[in-house]
Amino acid sequence: MATNVAGRRYRTLYGMLLRLYPQPFRDRFGEGMTQTFHDLCREHGDGGRGLFGFALWTFCETLEGIVMENIMRMDQLGKTMLRVALGALAVWMVPLVASQFFEDWHWGVGGFVRVYVLFFLTGMVMALVARRMGVWSYKAGVGLALVAGFALGWSTMVQVADSGHPERLWYHSVLVVGAIGACLARLKAPGLAWTLFAMAATLALIAVMLPSGAPPYLARNMAIGHGVFVALFTVSGLLFRHASLAGLK
Amino acid sequence: MAKKNTAQAPLTPAVLHILLALSTGGRHGYGIMKQVEADSQGKVKMGPGTLYGSMGRMMEAGLIRESDKRVDPEMDDERRIYYELTGAGRAALEAELMRYRGVVAVAEGRLAHGH
Repeated sequence: MATNVAGRRYRTLYGMLLRLYPQPFRDRFGEGMTQTFHDLCREHGDGGRGLFGFALWTFCETLEGIVMENIMRMDQLGKTMLRVALGALAVWMVPLVASQFFEDWHWGVGGFVRVYVLFFLTGMVMALVARRMGVWSYKAGVGLALVAGFALGWSTMVQVADSGHPERLWYHSVLVVGAIGACLARLKAPGLAWTLFAMAATLALIAVMLPSGAPPYLARNMAIGHGVFVALFTVSGLLFRHASLAGLK
Repeated sequence: MAKKNTAQAPLTPAVLHILLALSTGGRHGYGIMKQVEADSQGKVKMGPGTLYGSMGRMMEAGLIRESDKRVDPEMDDERRIYYELTGAGRAALEAELMRYRGVVAVAEGRLAHGH
């Protein structure tokens, strides 16, 4: 009696689970799957075996099938979004795990959500822009520019928050130059090459003009940091230059 | 829909077992599961997700088709959807068995030379 009640409950839940299949698959196999699950429940009930373990296994197995069917029926954009979301999740795990080892790391739930959104959006921009272009140097240029831009924006925010020097927000003007340049260039390789060179020059100019106010040992580290970012933007510009010479106008 | 030339490509274990289960006649989903379990001496246990997912791809490839909806006299008076092999499905099964025979022949030859 108890098995019958449990069986009915599991069948109802299974029917609800099947709704997660794509509509065409559900229309074709929904009835058959429900019937098969019903038969399996009865087999287990008749054999005097408990239903919980069987139901749990079947639900997990069916859920795996649901994921597979939905992925297979996704269009290209959906697949790209899924890949980027998973990639962003993997990158997001780095600060999440690192925050467990640093006592003064207090982002809170909202902070982590914003970081994930930032990772995801950066990844989507990179995926969508790079997908349109077949030249490897263009894709590498986009990746490098986004990573460097993201790191610069991020480190500026952290420095402003930690040191209370709002003038360091000037570093964001590098990103503004990049955004305006990318729009003007309409994401074409020759224009993007000049945009990245302009970003490198802007950053170098800010590094020279803006007083760091830091002790000598920190100033040296800052100079190295500036040099690395200038180099990254320059290399990215060279990659776009290579892409434009390779025929990507 | 364009059908894949599955008669030429190696089959996945799930597809092979389903083809094998249907080789003696039409069966419903539960019947296929039980036959697969029997054919593999209980080594292969297929859940509904794997079974119907594989069957969906096999139907698209033209290996099996829905035959009819009828009562299974060995079970109860509920009508169940039956599936059966198509000509392409039978050809794919035979091609796979040929491939297995070839692999077995090579393996036996190697082992014989090895001893």
